[in-house]
Amino acid sequence: MSYALAAYGVVIAGVLAYAAWLASTRRRLERELAARPVPNRG
Amino acid sequence: MGRASPLLRTSAAALLACAALWAYFVWQAPIDSMQGPIQKILYVHVPCVLGAYLGFALTASSGALYLWRRDERWDRLAAACAEVGVFFCTLVLLTGPIWAKGTWGRWWTWDLRLTLTLLLYLVFISYLLLRSFTEGSERAARFAAVYAIAGLMVIPLNYFAIDLAGGRTVHPENLGRSSLGAGMGAPFALGMLTATLAFAYLLVRRLEVSALRTALDQALANAARSEA
Repeated sequence: MSYALAAYGVVIAGVLAYAAWLASTRRRLERELAARPVPNRG
Repeated sequence: MGRASPLLRTSAAALLACAALWAYFVWQAPIDSMQGPIQKILYVHVPCVLGAYLGFALTASSGALYLWRRDERWDRLAAACAEVGVFFCTLVLLTGPIWAKGTWGRWWTWDLRLTLTLLLYLVFISYLLLRSFTEGSERAARFAAVYAIAGLMVIPLNYFAIDLAGGRTVHPENLGRSSLGAGMGAPFALGMLTATLAFAYLLVRRLEVSALRTALDQALANAARSEA
């Protein structure tokens, strides 16, 4: 049973970690984009 | 800002509901009389293979559409699909050896199926490396598209590896209609559905990141132009 639990643990932890990394990257990029000055269109 | 899109929220809700149902059916599935509880790794290993195949097939088809249409969005979709496919392939290469250690007594053997899975992984890792070194150029996008289409040829070789080896392989055969015993079909089918939904969810998240990167690059380019 321990092998099966290890395999399921790896997959669940992997999906959660990747989703969390994508979410944090998205938040960082949104912050960077918001911090950019709006170009002068005059 | 920072709020998840309706598509993302819907895919997350569908994924969570399906994953909960899948976990229940896996828990309830009968213990295999030959292998014991370790056989339950099948319900997570094969769905991860589906995620990898799906990612690489979509990378190649998006690449083909980029070559045809020359629209950057297809190229960005191809890159996102490759990354999610590599992620699932990583899970395949982690769950497989866990099963192998418990069943064969060793983590890895240079069996044709295992070797071709590693080759498939390396082909698409190289695709991602190639893109990271040559980001932004149209020529690189064209080359990446052709490379992904050529790399796709490893999938049928990988899938039919057991037949190609003429039975001289230690990896279990591909599943057929009567391969699974009573009570094993539902957790397997739900595992495939959960993997498909997880793939869709992660791809949507990855595409959001890709769109933001493009917008940021555009903003930086505009700022540089206005300063010049």
